[in-house]
Amino acid sequence: MSKQLSSGVAHLLKKAKVPVFNGYGKLDGTQANGRRKVLVSQDGAAPTTLTAQHVILATGARARVLPGLEPDGKLIWSYKEALVPEDMPKRLVVIGSGAIGTEFASFYRNMGADVTLVEVAQRILPVEDEEISQLARKAFEKQGIRILTGAQVGTLQKTATEVHIPVTLGDKTETLVADRVISAVGIVGNVENIGLEGTKIQVDRTHVVTDSLCRTGEPGVYAIGDLAGAPWLAHKASHEAVMCVEAIAGKTVHPIDPTKVPGCTYCRPQIASVGYTEAKAKEAGYKVRVGRFPLIANGKALAMGEPDGLIKTVFDAQTGELLGAHMIGAEVTEMIQGYVIARTGELTEAELAETIFPHPTISESMHEAVLAAYDGALHF
Amino acid sequence: MTASVPASAPATTPQVARPTNRIVASPLARRIAASKGVDLASIKGTGPHGRIVKRDVEAAESKASASLPSHAQAAAPVSGGGSRSVPHTTMRKVIARRLSESKATIPHFYVSMDVELDALIALRAQLNALSSDEGQDSFKLSVNDMLIKAAALALKQVPEVNASFTEDAMILHDDADISVAVSLDDGLITPIVRAAERKSLKQISQEAKSLVSRARAGKLKPEEFQGGTFSISNMGMFGVKEFAAIVNPPQAAILAIAAGKRQPVVSGDEIRIATVMTVTLSVDHRAVDGATAAKWLSAFRSIVQSPLALVL
Repeated sequence: MSKQLSSGVAHLLKKAKVPVFNGYGKLDGTQANGRRKVLVSQDGAAPTTLTAQHVILATGARARVLPGLEPDGKLIWSYKEALVPEDMPKRLVVIGSGAIGTEFASFYRNMGADVTLVEVAQRILPVEDEEISQLARKAFEKQGIRILTGAQVGTLQKTATEVHIPVTLGDKTETLVADRVISAVGIVGNVENIGLEGTKIQVDRTHVVTDSLCRTGEPGVYAIGDLAGAPWLAHKASHEAVMCVEAIAGKTVHPIDPTKVPGCTYCRPQIASVGYTEAKAKEAGYKVRVGRFPLIANGKALAMGEPDGLIKTVFDAQTGELLGAHMIGAEVTEMIQGYVIARTGELTEAELAETIFPHPTISESMHEAVLAAYDGALHF
Repeated sequence: MTASVPASAPATTPQVARPTNRIVASPLARRIAASKGVDLASIKGTGPHGRIVKRDVEAAESKASASLPSHAQAAAPVSGGGSRSVPHTTMRKVIARRLSESKATIPHFYVSMDVELDALIALRAQLNALSSDEGQDSFKLSVNDMLIKAAALALKQVPEVNASFTEDAMILHDDADISVAVSLDDGLITPIVRAAERKSLKQISQEAKSLVSRARAGKLKPEEFQGGTFSISNMGMFGVKEFAAIVNPPQAAILAIAAGKRQPVVSGDEIRIATVMTVTLSVDHRAVDGATAAKWLSAFRSIVQSPLALVL
């Protein structure tokens, strides 16, 4: 499937008459006429020199490597190996409970592995709203995932077939034993060997510093996607690509507001969110109105046998702005766009309340969660 | 010593109360603007297709509070003196928006001239004496009625002033549709005497009277105060010495009429007494240049000082 999609992209590029040079690209100064030079090398052959007025860097990111936790591709995986396992581990330890770690923990548990999810922070999915984190933990534990939070991981000991993982929780240390370990402790930008040295392009903690229009410190050089900073999401990268090229083409563009970028975690139950969490909204000084609607009160969710879940809305009490929305449950990654549109179009609770949601769908809960914020939920 | 010129249309600065144009703004931007008292019409939108979005309102608001320290003070009085906030009427909002727009976008200049009124006042007395005492045919011309006609005739003589500037072309109007500024309790409005150059003084007088009374009663139809090719604002009855009005877009000029006052006038080597008023023409310089404005004022003065043309 992945192959089909990527050959589809290759076809689109061909159709659009975009020449593709495979190889390692590297910035190489400018020509006399101000055009930038990019060297493309492959397989040790003499590099090809390309020149262009504008160069967009999109080298992405890779898994962060922590000392003592280096992926070896055999017993210790990064997300890359975890995507294409040769065999199914019986006992799996996932270190890190961000979106990537949580997705793999959920997936492998659903495939039947004994999974332990280890997180250094006090809760899993630490960037999500706290209530959602709690509900996710409850749901995962119900499915049999063991979750250790506030946990420090020591140096891993490997045997031929298993890994021993010392984990410290408060003053107690326990050694977990696993067939495989997935290290999901974040990502780092691919900023090396692309010719940034000696340029005015700034790098901050492995990511290229850009302005709101993806421009770097070097005129004519842009950076997008994971290389250019959070949120590390494909749809954000894709939107940046379009915006960056449109800006170069002289069109009027609108910079990306990270609080309008949806975040989705494809675990079971699914998690999706946009904008401020309740805590972040309060931290930012908003007086908030919060609405909640549990999926157990939704007919479609019940009929699907997926009654566990919650839709939560956070509104600015003063202006009615939808500051954030947080969802956990069936199909929520398919539904979050409704709230993203509301945020992007700057709708208030009034327009959302007046919107008619179809029955019977899970999305009705999104309506109810809006009404609930204004004390008007109908079915709960 | 002061002989105020009577006028039927007391007024200050003119204003056409047009229905507001559709403003494209997000619901959130509208709500924030309403709560912070920011006028959306004064904001340039930076959203898709120029839509006004939250950041535009917030930027406008922070700019307004930065440049107007008194604004913040008014919103939250610090001393015990007290203040209260009176919500704007729609008319007040339109006035604020249209005049800000005019002053901000139209390069104004002003030309003043003294005009003797004695001949016109004498003619007025003669004409009014012809009126029957009552009934449909009765009339009582005001000086303002005669100045409306004088302005209309001057516009026929110098038609470049009866114009509207647009980006692509100058629009030259055939009729002299005179907007007459009328003050109301809560603002002002400019009902229009259409094609005043072709109407008799009696017609103008009766029409102006009806427009003014219906304006004060709030019963004007939109077409009676929308449009117009030239404005007159008369503050003579308040005894003002002179003033300059703000151009009423899309018109090119507005005439500000001050009080007529008996004063010494040097003519030849003689000093005589005459009733003199100072009129000031405010002009959109994009449409009308200085010499043309002066030419128009001269024409206006000639008609007022030799007013028989008004009854031709």
